[in-house]
Amino acid sequence: MNPVYLMGALIPLAFLSGWWVARRRGTRRSGAERHALSSDYFRGLNYLLNEEQDKAIEVFLRLAEYNRDTVETHLALGNLFRRRGEVDRAIRVHQHLVSRPNLSDDMKTVALLELGEDYMRAGLLDRAETLFADLAAMNAHAPSALRHLIAIYQHERDWHQAIEQARRLEKMSGESQGHDIAHYYCELAEQARQHGARGDASHFLSQAFEHDRNCTRAYMIAGALQVQAGDYKAAIDSYQHAIGTGIAFVPEILPPLLECHVRSGTMDQAERFLRDIIERYHGVSPVLALTRIYRERDGEQAAVAFLTEQLRLRPSVRGLMALIDATMDKVSGDARANFLILRDLTRKLLEGQAMYRCSQCGFGAKAHHWQCPSCKHWATVLPILGVANE
Amino acid sequence: MRFLTFLLLLAFIVLGVLFGALNPDLVSFDFGVTRLMLPKGAVLLAVLVLGWLLGGLTAWWGTRWRKTRDRHAAAHGIRKDRAGK
Repeated sequence: MNPVYLMGALIPLAFLSGWWVARRRGTRRSGAERHALSSDYFRGLNYLLNEEQDKAIEVFLRLAEYNRDTVETHLALGNLFRRRGEVDRAIRVHQHLVSRPNLSDDMKTVALLELGEDYMRAGLLDRAETLFADLAAMNAHAPSALRHLIAIYQHERDWHQAIEQARRLEKMSGESQGHDIAHYYCELAEQARQHGARGDASHFLSQAFEHDRNCTRAYMIAGALQVQAGDYKAAIDSYQHAIGTGIAFVPEILPPLLECHVRSGTMDQAERFLRDIIERYHGVSPVLALTRIYRERDGEQAAVAFLTEQLRLRPSVRGLMALIDATMDKVSGDARANFLILRDLTRKLLEGQAMYRCSQCGFGAKAHHWQCPSCKHWATVLPILGVANE
Repeated sequence: MRFLTFLLLLAFIVLGVLFGALNPDLVSFDFGVTRLMLPKGAVLLAVLVLGWLLGGLTAWWGTRWRKTRDRHAAAHGIRKDRAGK
């Protein structure tokens, strides 16, 4: 055979083999580059730790562009978007992850959990509920899914469902949910009481006590139910129990308790109880209540003397205001004008003050909430003990 | 794996040398401007190596071009994303 023809036939073969080898090496090298990309990942992490989220997003976006298979990078990106409030972008990232056919089951459930959180953040509670319910049914990340489900039912005020999921969570994680479940039953009892269904309310309260024997709120609702039934003696017992289990809630419990004493004509008993309370509770509410009792029983002078003595022990703007009101009638002329200015000043001072604070997250409120509007913990919003507060 | 590749490479070199030794006769090549008499086996081997190198170079250029294009697209995407925020 002519060697020139042979060469003509072999050249393309040699070309193809060279091309194939170079191509293979190139693919391998890009795999090595992928490892090098981890330095980018740490750079992104560093930005995150330094609270430079803009730069972190830039780095993670670049990482995700280079390597479309990195699940962790996508998860980090999605979380970042959600934290920055860009929920629609977070949803897109997590949906893209979930739709991948070759994603492992474990990673898919993580992505679904994240997607559920995105939906919650976006206010699409029905979608989030379906997702979390599916995850809990699959036993995948069940405790987290159940916690989110409980949060959704709390938001929707679907207390029966919240109770059911809390029980499942208790069984699954071993962590007691009794305190929260008692509050769910209290919500149901309160609803029933407001609708006049006293039998249902009592049933829910007994369930609440079954889950938390020292549930202050349940004692308070029981007291309100007994007041509705006209049983003031039993109501006084319930309110006193409520103070026994949660002395921090004295400002909430005292008004209905004193009302019961007034109606049952047992003010002496109320005075003894309040005397006992001011030894244990350092707020101004029982002092003001006692001052009112003394004013009605012993006259203005005795009341002012008691209040002055107590204000020396526990200075309080609310106490000062009560003292100004009590002595206003005795003064005239310039002194009265000054007293009026002082009263306005104290009123304005109190108007701007938060009276309650959450012991978990520090959320400040003017009114009492059984569930903290910020961190969603139950019975953590307590009166602030201070000169300008309780 | 590396050892196997080494053995294969060695085998091909031996075959190449053997092929060159078995075809030492000179063949005339006309390049238009000049005519050269070159050994048949050596020319065949040299052309094979040249083809192999050209193929490799083409693949390398192709990969490089694709990477540059991806990088530009990613940078453009980031800029667009950040502008659309």
